[in-house]
Amino acid sequence: MEAPPVTMMPVTGGTINMMEYLLQGSVLDHSLESLIHRLRGLCDNMEPETFLDHEMVFLLKGQQASPFVLRARRSMDRTGAPWHLRYLGQPEMGDKNRHALVRNCVDIATSENLTDFLMEMGFRMDHEFVAKGHLFRKGIMKIMVYKIFRILVPGNTDSTEALSLSYLVELSVVAPAGQDMVSDDMRNFAEQLKPLVHLEKIDPKRLM
Amino acid sequence: MGVTCVSQMPVAEGKSVQQTVELLTRKLEMLGAEKQGTFCVDCETYHTAASTLGSQGQPGKLMYVMHNSEYPLSCFALFENGPCLIADTNFDVLMVKLKGFFQSAKASKIETRGTRYQYCDFLVKVGTVTMGPSARGISVEVEYGPCVVASDCWSLLLEFLQNFLGTHTPGAPTVFGNRHDAVYGPADTMVQYMELFNKIRKQQQVPVAGIR
Repeated sequence: MEAPPVTMMPVTGGTINMMEYLLQGSVLDHSLESLIHRLRGLCDNMEPETFLDHEMVFLLKGQQASPFVLRARRSMDRTGAPWHLRYLGQPEMGDKNRHALVRNCVDIATSENLTDFLMEMGFRMDHEFVAKGHLFRKGIMKIMVYKIFRILVPGNTDSTEALSLSYLVELSVVAPAGQDMVSDDMRNFAEQLKPLVHLEKIDPKRLM
Repeated sequence: MGVTCVSQMPVAEGKSVQQTVELLTRKLEMLGAEKQGTFCVDCETYHTAASTLGSQGQPGKLMYVMHNSEYPLSCFALFENGPCLIADTNFDVLMVKLKGFFQSAKASKIETRGTRYQYCDFLVKVGTVTMGPSARGISVEVEYGPCVVASDCWSLLLEFLQNFLGTHTPGAPTVFGNRHDAVYGPADTMVQYMELFNKIRKQQQVPVAGIR
């Protein structure tokens, strides 16, 4: 029998500092079809992909002023898919030369007992929502067009209500820190989506 | 992946850890077991940083973050008697981000390293458990590959263990009891290693003379 490859050291992973570059915008429901049509033309030739996710946002409160936030996401339409745990750092607006919002991010695929585990760690759920929409890719760029649904009865993803009459549009790239050139490609791509949608670097502090 | 039993082998009288490991591996080689490289299981302990204690009033729980060379792309995070999360190795990066809330206990890293042997349907791993620079004990892991239900193959595993370890044969691992007739998984093996490491941590350190 062939010996399986066994490394002496377990691979202790991803010390690389990954950053998410992000541009955001929105379209009204009635413009969705034309945006999807445009994206199909511009993006990589792939089967149209849709998603239906349930996201829960967990907080860990310490003595520090700001709590530690983690996002747990699970697919509702693909059973057996791993859960997705995400850490997002403080967003940085940067200067005019960088065309996208940048934030540190850690993406982790996990087993399905994630919520139990986070509770055991001392995290408490803050809020939850359902996201439903379309996913496109162009090279390393990811474009998500989705609607957010409010969950009416906590924990019950069957009774939901749309939060607004529009779709959120997000263009994002996850790249190692310091690769600000990717924001140029993102701006160029965003230009091609005008005037259907205006993707901008939106400062979340402005909305608070 | 099959059903696995992890146990501790005491150091033979008048022998060092290394000599006892050699005795065991020689026994395997005499049986005709085939050497298949090496293995490593490590475990890092984290405790809730004092900062979170005040606000929640709960006693500091210990969290263990482990790796196993059998699953090189995975990271296992466990609580004693709690859930075991299987994640990819980016979980290690998250622990760095969580530094303000969970701190790794100094010099608590414990690991076992050794040789991996295949003997027919059994996979046997004899390892030296070390904490820092000192050898603290011997781990013996035996996996029976063709079955995933612990209660269906425990007697077979036991027979092999009795032949191999003689009077030091362990009882059925407690994880078997929790999951009667359930499918055995990698997390169950990690729970056994965590229990073994905790047992060894509490034991008296092997006198320096016995390490070599």
